[in-house]
Amino acid sequence: MSVVSSSEISRPPIQRKGFSYDRLIRYFFASNAGLTIVILLLIIAFLLKEGLGFFPGYRRELEIYRITGMEFVDLSRTNLTSHEQLTSLLNRAYFAEINGQADRELKRSTEAAALVADIDDFTASVRDSYFSATEEAAPAAEVIARLKAQYAALLSLAIKDLPPSPHLTEEERKGIIDAMMQRPIDNEDTPEFVTKLAGEYATARQKFAAPLEEARTRIDAFEAAGSELNSLVGEMTSLVRVSKDALNKSDILERERKSLLAAAASAKDPATRERLQQEAKTALAEVPDIRETTEKVLAKKSQCSEAHQKLHQSITGLTAQLTFSYQQAESVKLQRAALAAMPAFLKELEAAPAKIEAWNAAEPVHLSAAIHSFLTGKSWVTGGEWQDFYGILPLLTGSLMIAIVALLIAIPVGIGAAIYTNQFASLREQKLIKPIIEFIQAIPSVVLGFIGIFILGEALRTLSTSPALAWFPGFPMDERLNIFTAGCLLALMSIPTIFSLAEDAINNVPAAYSEASEALGASKLQTTFRVVVPAAFSGILAAVLLGFGRVIGETMVVLLVAGNRIKIPDFSAGVGAFFQPAHTMTGIIAQELGEVPVGSVHYRALFVVGILLFAIVLGINATAHHFTRKMKH
Amino acid sequence: MNSAIQIEHLDFCYGAKQALFDVSMEIPALQVTALIGPSGCGKSTLLRCFNRINDRIAGARVTGGSIRIHDIDIMRPDIDLLELRRHVGMVFQKYNPFAKSIYENVAYSSRIAGIKDKARLDEIVESSLRDAALWDEVKDRVHDSAFGLSGGQQQRLCIARAIANRPEILLMDEPCAALDPLATLKIEELIQQLKKQFTIVIVTHNMAQASRCSDKTAFMYLGKLIEFDDTKKIFTNPREKQTEQYITGSFG
Repeated sequence: MSVVSSSEISRPPIQRKGFSYDRLIRYFFASNAGLTIVILLLIIAFLLKEGLGFFPGYRRELEIYRITGMEFVDLSRTNLTSHEQLTSLLNRAYFAEINGQADRELKRSTEAAALVADIDDFTASVRDSYFSATEEAAPAAEVIARLKAQYAALLSLAIKDLPPSPHLTEEERKGIIDAMMQRPIDNEDTPEFVTKLAGEYATARQKFAAPLEEARTRIDAFEAAGSELNSLVGEMTSLVRVSKDALNKSDILERERKSLLAAAASAKDPATRERLQQEAKTALAEVPDIRETTEKVLAKKSQCSEAHQKLHQSITGLTAQLTFSYQQAESVKLQRAALAAMPAFLKELEAAPAKIEAWNAAEPVHLSAAIHSFLTGKSWVTGGEWQDFYGILPLLTGSLMIAIVALLIAIPVGIGAAIYTNQFASLREQKLIKPIIEFIQAIPSVVLGFIGIFILGEALRTLSTSPALAWFPGFPMDERLNIFTAGCLLALMSIPTIFSLAEDAINNVPAAYSEASEALGASKLQTTFRVVVPAAFSGILAAVLLGFGRVIGETMVVLLVAGNRIKIPDFSAGVGAFFQPAHTMTGIIAQELGEVPVGSVHYRALFVVGILLFAIVLGINATAHHFTRKMKH
Repeated sequence: MNSAIQIEHLDFCYGAKQALFDVSMEIPALQVTALIGPSGCGKSTLLRCFNRINDRIAGARVTGGSIRIHDIDIMRPDIDLLELRRHVGMVFQKYNPFAKSIYENVAYSSRIAGIKDKARLDEIVESSLRDAALWDEVKDRVHDSAFGLSGGQQQRLCIARAIANRPEILLMDEPCAALDPLATLKIEELIQQLKKQFTIVIVTHNMAQASRCSDKTAFMYLGKLIEFDDTKKIFTNPREKQTEQYITGSFG
């Protein structure tokens, strides 16, 4: 009896090996999900790898800053800079006073000059061709006649659209224009009357300067008091710069040597290895001896201290005499600012000698100093001749202040619109409002930036110059591009986010709540504000937080509109600080990353800013997530 | 017997769809009236007419007849809805306390009415919670979230919230539908207590409940009032064939 072998039965086996079709599809989708996670992890790893190298690099820079004595020089330099700023304030007050007194003459003269300049500009092309034609041989009469005719035509065109001159009488204005009309083509003289006005202005200046002579001498004395320190700092600067350059160079060579050695270690061919090692040996840079120059600088310790003491003495003497009874509001303001800054300056000067004596080039610079300098540094200075500093504070304050302005506008508007749309609007209104607000999101941010510069920025500045608003702190604005303008635009960008999410949150409040409330005799308004909105509170908070995350992370608008001045705004101006320009964490990365050498400390610093930004936004989103979950009970 | 609500020839529509046809009945004061009938028969709609909470639904309107409370037609356009609803309280099918503390839930109606005096509010909250047989269970934690209570407690809290207004009439729309039998029993006991102070109209799917705790029962079918009589009579000797069939479980 023959046994039927299993192979004769043609049925698929129960157990199959390898991939089935279903599994393949499953793996395909799993790999998609996996890929995004892997990419995210890679991004984080890359950020950390590039960024964390910053701190050792920055530590080395700070070390060079110390051992070369640059830090020592800066002890004096900061005081010198403050002295210069104070001098400038005093001078500005002085000139503002004179110009203010001679205001009428100044305006008459500038208005007349503007009339002349306008006509000159208009006719410049014809006159230029006339002069170049007559430069060589005498040209044909008809050419001259043609040019003259053109000149006359342009003149009559020019006078049709001239700038206003409210401080000149009608007659005077007409006189200037007539003089210009009658001026022949080859005459470039300014009309007599205009010259006379300029003379009047000069006389007026002299006249008003006369009673201020005492002020002039004292301000000059104030300025001169700094000259000794100034020349000292100058000498020391050129000394330490040499050491810094030498050290930087040797650092670069050392880095090259290391990479050669690394290449040698990984080379397979013994000959190549030999060659690379040889190269590395020759590349070995001598560590430059900077001790000598540093000592030269340090030798000036006592001189520096003395200069400070002298400056302190002379300024203490002068301070009491620096109060002049100015009449112009501008001058009074400037003088007050200068005098207010004086005590702090004097204190610095007094403390300086002790600091100078205590300074020690050999004191080691730890990694923590680099971290501390990054997190609490008040200046972000890069690509300079002197020392680079990477302090995050100016950027962080800029970002936060812009975010505050944006949220102060966007929260009431966004949430208000959400409450209205969800609770009070008719169905037709809802269908209209929602898409329109969400449409704002579709506007490219660069377009918004454009609007910000040319429409909002201009309008706000014009508004701020109106005398009726002069009482407002920070008005008139100095800059068209500032924190407030950027904040307004970012508010516009975050309104859709806040609106949509808040509307969702309100919509998610069970209808049973409002039904119960109304059944208890509550009006629609009471129901909305006492039951529905409180119940949606955590969802609304999440909406606000996500709006905040959007604002902090936005780049293009702030880059275009915030004014990009890397400086902590002057908070002594109160609310006015919000009308100053600022730079942001996002803006600085966008602006500088394209220009820095890859791998440099500056490059890595930008990565650290990126990591910080990433951490902030992550934190905000995690908090928002927490609140959204809470909302669902 | 005093009647609390007089309904005469009431027709009611949701948009184009008529939900109530010519309903006439008088609901007696200080008694429990049960509305029974199969799903979609209009009993909830009728209940929700009494405080005009149906007005929330777009297109819902009375097309004929009248409902009178204190001899005033509550469908008149010049009725102060907020005042009407303080007069006619309501408890819903699914317990729905606000996302507030127990205290604030009960004090809500007083606060919106403008009462700010702390002592007065305390008094209202305590007496309402006592009337809802909840005070002893929650007196130590009145400022905790209402969501920490059990389902039955939350429903009693909703009853306390409704009676804090001191309404004359209390509407209950299947108040035990979402509760377990023990919690249901407690609510039923509570209803017996409450009817001393309030006229109660209760919609229920539970026939046993209707027979246990109501004095009058109305049977509705397809938007029409089929029979309205003493509960005892309806459950022992109904006049209409349909009522009998429904009660005995032949349909519905």
